[in-house]
Amino acid sequence: MGHSWSEEAWRFVLVVLAGTLLGLLVGHVAAVVLVAVIGYVVRHLYYIHRMQRWLDDPYLGKMPAHFGLWGSLYARIHRLLEAHRRREAQLQQQLEQFRRTAAALPDAVVSLGPAREILWVNEKARSMLGLRIPGDYGRPLANLFRAPALRQYLERGDYKKVLEITAPGREQRQLSVRAVPYGDGQLLVIFQDITERYRLERIRRDFVANVSHELRTPLTVISGFVENLRANPDICPEAWRRPLKLIDEQSGRMRQIVGDLLLLARLEGGEAQLREAPVDVARLLEGAAEEGRVLADGNVKFQVRVESARQIRGDAGLLRSAVVNLVSNAVHHTPAGGQISLHWVDEPGAGCLIVEDTGEGISHQHIPRLTERFYRVDAGRSRERGGTGLGLAIVKHILQVHDARLEILSEPGEGSQFICRFPEARLVDPGQRQATDESRIADHSA
Amino acid sequence: MDQSELMQHISQQYNAELEAIRTKVLAMGGLVEQQLERAIGSLYDGQIEQAEEVVANDHKVNAFDVEIDERCTKIIALRQPTASDLRLVLTVIKTTADLERIGDEAKRVARMAISTAKSEAGRNLYQRIEHLGDRVREMLHSALDAFARMDVEEAIRVAHEDRRIDQEYEAIMRQGMTYMMEDPRSIPLLIDIMWAARALERIGDRCCNICEYIIYFVKGKDVRHTSLEQIAEEFGEEPTNADE
Repeated sequence: MGHSWSEEAWRFVLVVLAGTLLGLLVGHVAAVVLVAVIGYVVRHLYYIHRMQRWLDDPYLGKMPAHFGLWGSLYARIHRLLEAHRRREAQLQQQLEQFRRTAAALPDAVVSLGPAREILWVNEKARSMLGLRIPGDYGRPLANLFRAPALRQYLERGDYKKVLEITAPGREQRQLSVRAVPYGDGQLLVIFQDITERYRLERIRRDFVANVSHELRTPLTVISGFVENLRANPDICPEAWRRPLKLIDEQSGRMRQIVGDLLLLARLEGGEAQLREAPVDVARLLEGAAEEGRVLADGNVKFQVRVESARQIRGDAGLLRSAVVNLVSNAVHHTPAGGQISLHWVDEPGAGCLIVEDTGEGISHQHIPRLTERFYRVDAGRSRERGGTGLGLAIVKHILQVHDARLEILSEPGEGSQFICRFPEARLVDPGQRQATDESRIADHSA
Repeated sequence: MDQSELMQHISQQYNAELEAIRTKVLAMGGLVEQQLERAIGSLYDGQIEQAEEVVANDHKVNAFDVEIDERCTKIIALRQPTASDLRLVLTVIKTTADLERIGDEAKRVARMAISTAKSEAGRNLYQRIEHLGDRVREMLHSALDAFARMDVEEAIRVAHEDRRIDQEYEAIMRQGMTYMMEDPRSIPLLIDIMWAARALERIGDRCCNICEYIIYFVKGKDVRHTSLEQIAEEFGEEPTNADE
């Protein structure tokens, strides 16, 4: 460039010099130089015009032939254009490749714009969601695929969770929906058909329900007749008293185990539908203490201390059964004259529900395994006391579905502490509740 | 045409308002669709819980109805819409009214599902109902699709579907009557089933109405109380560009 530029500068000087010489010869220096310079400028203007024309359709074949400064300018523009074209072709190829890949995906992929309108869909999405392409580009997805749950999901804008919905339509296909925000307010939504998995889950659920039903029915018959026999001394010989009593006890125990197993299976499968509402902890603890008193038969003292007014957002029935399990556990392991205390206290970032007893305590090696099913510190003794061996497992799972954690502190001979720690998000200030309800209504109408 | 016409206004806010009521109608439509689907599902699965949920959710449909009406009133009062905007607002008002009634019919079907869930009799009539239910569900789905796309051709096709539904309804009635004559003890149950069939048939009619509103919006011509043949003759043949 520098070379052709100095060349051009020399050419200009030459033109001026030649004009001056010719002007000296003719006698009109100024006029001749002016004509020469004008000629020089006109020539360049013409070249500019040519370049402009060429740029309308910049192909190599139509490029005007030039040397010097103009030639190098053309060459540079041409190189730029070439590079640009190459990049474009590369991008086009990559885009095409991406589209082909996305089209081959077994899942439906839809990309949505800021107003949640359809920007692009892959092949599978057309059939799975019933879209008409290209007619439906630019229309809001939720207007065409009208599952109310999906609309809510898109409006709420919280895409961390995977949504599972039943697709509208005859086949009742189950879809799992996952959204990934990208770029400038855009959203990539992936629909996966999980009908098959859903069906298997249903089979498993039915299995649990059926098994428990099948086990329960014979047990009910057995204990019914045993009860009858025991209630009528006329038809029950003395020698059969004890066996019948044992049969009655054991069948009752078995019924309880079946019930507990069922609850556990439901909790584990994530099918337990939480009926969420703010739960008054004071009342919960009082109720559990009352049941504990009945169970302990007056041998153990109970103390309830509620230091926080906050409530737990959760399922009252499940929480109750968790606390009652902890209390009955404590009753079983606390000798007469002991004390069981129930606390509800605030902690930074959490609320703690504590069940503390002055019982025999648990040695360290057992603590991590306590929540396993049927795990017993002392097999013979706890069975004798009537536990099913499932109580703490149930507690653990109930706490899990409430996002809470169970912590066990114990020293042999000094009693145990069972601490249920509920995270901040699960706690409700009784005063605040009204306010959040109102804001939700306002949101809805907005 | 719908997109471009809606986007003509100088006031961005006005555009947004018009688009918003349309979206609301479709949100309501989605809910009604779900209600109907669950109601029909519970009718032949005998799932009482699901049916009770349908009955309990009906107030949501009504809330939509009230809200959309309010928005439309506001638009009429503040913006004084003309031409296609006015037609859109009118179409929206009428469509929500019909959707609300479809919601009521779905609730009725759910109620019948609850009251018939326990009995085994008349099960073979259920198969017919199932078929009718599928038809009606599909019809509602297509009608809402046509509304979302403002697609006249589709609307005419859906309106035609109503005749088939009427025929099936009549067949169920006839079959039900035969059963009643054979076994008078089954009459209470059969009456419930027939009520459900009746509700489904009414939903078909309401879908038909929605399709007529779509034609009214796109073509600017009121086609209520006109025979389907006339409608098809007038609009069906020419290529519609409702998709653009």
